[in-house]
Amino acid sequence: MKKAKSQAVACSLDSKNGIKQHHFDDATTNSSVDPFSMIEDHAETDVVDSDSARASSSGGFTANLARKKAIPPQPAKKLVIKLLKAKPTLPTNFEENTWAVLKSAISAIFLKQPDFCDLEKLYQAVNDLCLHKMGGNLYQRIEKECESHISATLQSLVGQSEDLVVFLSLVETTWQDFCDQLLMIRGIALYLDRTYVKQTTNVRSLWDMGLQLFRKHLSIASEVEHKTVFGLLKMIESERSFPDVNLSFSVICATVLGEAVDRTLLNHLLKMFTALGIYSESFEKPFLDCTSEFYAAEGVKYMQQSDVSDYLKHVEVRLHEEHDRCVLYLDASTRKPLLATAERQLLERHIAAILEKARGIFSLMNLFLPVHSAIFFRQVLTFATTGSRALSSYIRRTGQSIVTDEEKDKDMVFSLLEFKASLDAIWEDSFSKNEAFCNTIKEAFEHLINIRQNRPAELIAKFLDEKLRAGNKGTSEEELEGTLDKVLVLFRFIQGKDVFEAFYKKDLAKRLLLGKSASIDAEKSMISKLKTECGSQFTNKLEGMYWPTYPLMDVRLPHELNVYQDIFKEFYLSKYSGRRLMWQNSLGHCVLKAEFPKGKKELAVSLFQTVVLMLFNDAQKLSFQDIKDATCIEDKELRRTLQSLACGKVRVLQKNPKGREVDDNDSFMFNDVFTAPLYRIKVNAIQLKETVEENTSTTERVFQDRQYQVDAAIVRIMKTRKVLSHTLLITELFQQLKFPIKPSDLKKRIESLIDREYLERDRNNPQIYNYLA
Amino acid sequence: MPRASKRKSDPVRSSEPAPKRATAKEVERIDNFFASYANTSIGMIDPEGVEKLCSDLRVEHTDVRILMLAWKMNAKKQGYFTQDEWRTGLKSLHADTLKKLKKELPELEKEVAKQNNFEDFYCYSFRYCLTEDKQKSLDIESVCMLLDLVLGRQFPLQVDSFVEYLKIQKEYKVINMDQWTNFFRFCQEIEFPDLQNYDACQAWPLILDNFVDWLREKLTAA
Repeated sequence: MKKAKSQAVACSLDSKNGIKQHHFDDATTNSSVDPFSMIEDHAETDVVDSDSARASSSGGFTANLARKKAIPPQPAKKLVIKLLKAKPTLPTNFEENTWAVLKSAISAIFLKQPDFCDLEKLYQAVNDLCLHKMGGNLYQRIEKECESHISATLQSLVGQSEDLVVFLSLVETTWQDFCDQLLMIRGIALYLDRTYVKQTTNVRSLWDMGLQLFRKHLSIASEVEHKTVFGLLKMIESERSFPDVNLSFSVICATVLGEAVDRTLLNHLLKMFTALGIYSESFEKPFLDCTSEFYAAEGVKYMQQSDVSDYLKHVEVRLHEEHDRCVLYLDASTRKPLLATAERQLLERHIAAILEKARGIFSLMNLFLPVHSAIFFRQVLTFATTGSRALSSYIRRTGQSIVTDEEKDKDMVFSLLEFKASLDAIWEDSFSKNEAFCNTIKEAFEHLINIRQNRPAELIAKFLDEKLRAGNKGTSEEELEGTLDKVLVLFRFIQGKDVFEAFYKKDLAKRLLLGKSASIDAEKSMISKLKTECGSQFTNKLEGMYWPTYPLMDVRLPHELNVYQDIFKEFYLSKYSGRRLMWQNSLGHCVLKAEFPKGKKELAVSLFQTVVLMLFNDAQKLSFQDIKDATCIEDKELRRTLQSLACGKVRVLQKNPKGREVDDNDSFMFNDVFTAPLYRIKVNAIQLKETVEENTSTTERVFQDRQYQVDAAIVRIMKTRKVLSHTLLITELFQQLKFPIKPSDLKKRIESLIDREYLERDRNNPQIYNYLA
Repeated sequence: MPRASKRKSDPVRSSEPAPKRATAKEVERIDNFFASYANTSIGMIDPEGVEKLCSDLRVEHTDVRILMLAWKMNAKKQGYFTQDEWRTGLKSLHADTLKKLKKELPELEKEVAKQNNFEDFYCYSFRYCLTEDKQKSLDIESVCMLLDLVLGRQFPLQVDSFVEYLKIQKEYKVINMDQWTNFFRFCQEIEFPDLQNYDACQAWPLILDNFVDWLREKLTAA
């Protein structure tokens, strides 16, 4: 009877080295049985005991065939393959026994014992357990085993070594070892990792499991963790305290407690923290706090003892250092908060003081320019919002002192232009035309120029007047254009542009009338610039020759002049009816032919001068009083006129007694010894300066005009809307009116209009106005 | 340029149901009553007559009740009562003799104090003081007296404060109707003296904004 041989073919699934022969030494060991179908001749199954298995295992199928050879060949029979009826069972204690092997292996790994089981065997063990669905248990057991070892290791670190560096090295070694060990264990249990772990949710991979255990026990042995962090921080601090040391990749020799600071050590330990996932909580946070404190103290100290440019250079160095630190050993994620912290302590806190220390605009310029890595520095300042705030307040303060200093009104425009120019230079060079800073400068300028209402506008108009007048020798056309453009920039910032308009027009008219313009082209250019800025409405009247009012100066004209005046008047009124002709005597000029004993001359003089001189046609000598009576010229003006004729460079009259001032008792004579090189001589009339009264009247006119505009706007709005609430009306007005005005002024105008019955308050809702048709 | 002034039409006194038509006898008595005080040459009761009436009523001629009487009559001219006005007033009061009139005065006071009448009375009193033709505003001194008379009892704190302010401030020499009416609204709406709910961004006349600023400054200085 042929025995069906069921063979316990120990075919390990991935015996990569071919079919290996496994020797099972004791009966207690397991054999993995494949639920292979057996070839049988008879439907008989027999459990083959290990002995026969052994015997037949060598050679495997060949053994069978060998035996079969002894039997005479049968006619080909049908081979029926039948499944094993009963599942082959495992040997008892299969699990425990297998685990014991593994356990001792793990132990050995952790205890660094060199001699342990054959790796293949271990691997097989894991494999077997997994196949028999014991993966879960296995996992837990491995976990428990690892845990006990890890905990022991970490506990052993407690109380170790007072010396921080030594301690840190210990920690590093521990970690390094742990990593190796875990790797090994993972290698052994790879099958488990690949199958059971993957298939089961909520189960960590072995590596992660190990890390988690490590982390858990590290925090249990909290002293270890804290000591490690402390040690790291101390190392970094000592590195910082020796900033002059050459920064290189090699080991820095800064003494920390007499030991060398090892950057690799720092690197590894920090990597450990990262791997354990405790980097940001356990290390980064205290690190940033520490950094903050360190730089806070340093910032204060250095600010006190060094000047500003040295301080800024030092700051730059420090920031570079911190940057390098991130490259060399800190985690990349720390870079941003680290730099931010350093910036904040070293720069933000001190920006105001830094700019304060910069005395004058030019030293500020010198401060920013030499900083070498302008990009770096600029980035720092750009991100520090206090930087731009401080810059803004600096500009405002400096600008305000220029604008509000009444004594220096004459130089205000010039100073402002200079100031703006220097700010622009800084903006271009040091800040590479950064937009945020441009806006900061603009806003600050707009604010400061409008602090003092109206006066800057007036002064700008005056400044332009000066520039556009003749007599600006040495200013080329391009220079003039450049100046005009710069002034226009200032003009843009002004809110009450109508004040500027009033003064500009007046001065323009004067220039044109008196022929004092330096160049018509320049005038035209300026007007076209203003047109581009403010629209054609602004300049329409200018182009149409707006006629200013001048104080009426009365004068009694000599007969001849009267005649001419009358002739002209007749002509003019015949041509244009309905117009009033007003002689502006203060502006007239004349060319007189004078016969001096020493030669005939032509004198270009003002009207008043003419009138006075013509008196001497009939008299040789006249007293001040005589002249006054005869000409009826206003006293102050007369004195000025006589001064220009008798006390200046060109003395066509002689004054007795001599002197610069014209007194009541002076007398005047025709100067018969008058001589001059040129034929035609201009006798400068001392120009009537714009009086203070004129100024105030111009300003008042503007305000009056504004009132009308407000009234008109209110009526216009109410006419359209018919019914409008107070707040909406105010909002509309602010949108429509082009000059700055206070809400209380608007209220005044509204009340005035209520009084004049253009509007009324609504009976039912006092916040609403109704238009009264 | 000033526009033609439009006098608003007089409000309807709707405090009571329309009075029963007075009997002929009553009308006669009212007319006699009128005649006893009237100045025959002008056919109206003139200031002298009013004074006499007051003394007969045992009331000061600066008493607010006389003003109330004028209101009841809707008298147009300060210090004068026309016959029509007299008739209107006394008919609605049902007072055809001096004694009856005197008795009615407390009733009149109560009537004026009613919410919907008081505002009307308040505005009327201002208009009543605009004695000149086309006069639109009242000088500060008169305003102070009038405020005290008309509002003094109801809002003593506000009135005293405002009067003090009016005398100190220099910006306004006169008060117009708009400012007058808004002061009453101020007393009604704004908590005094803490002024918490006053908002200068609302449509209060500027003089009240200034008044509130002054008050607040005084409070903080105190």
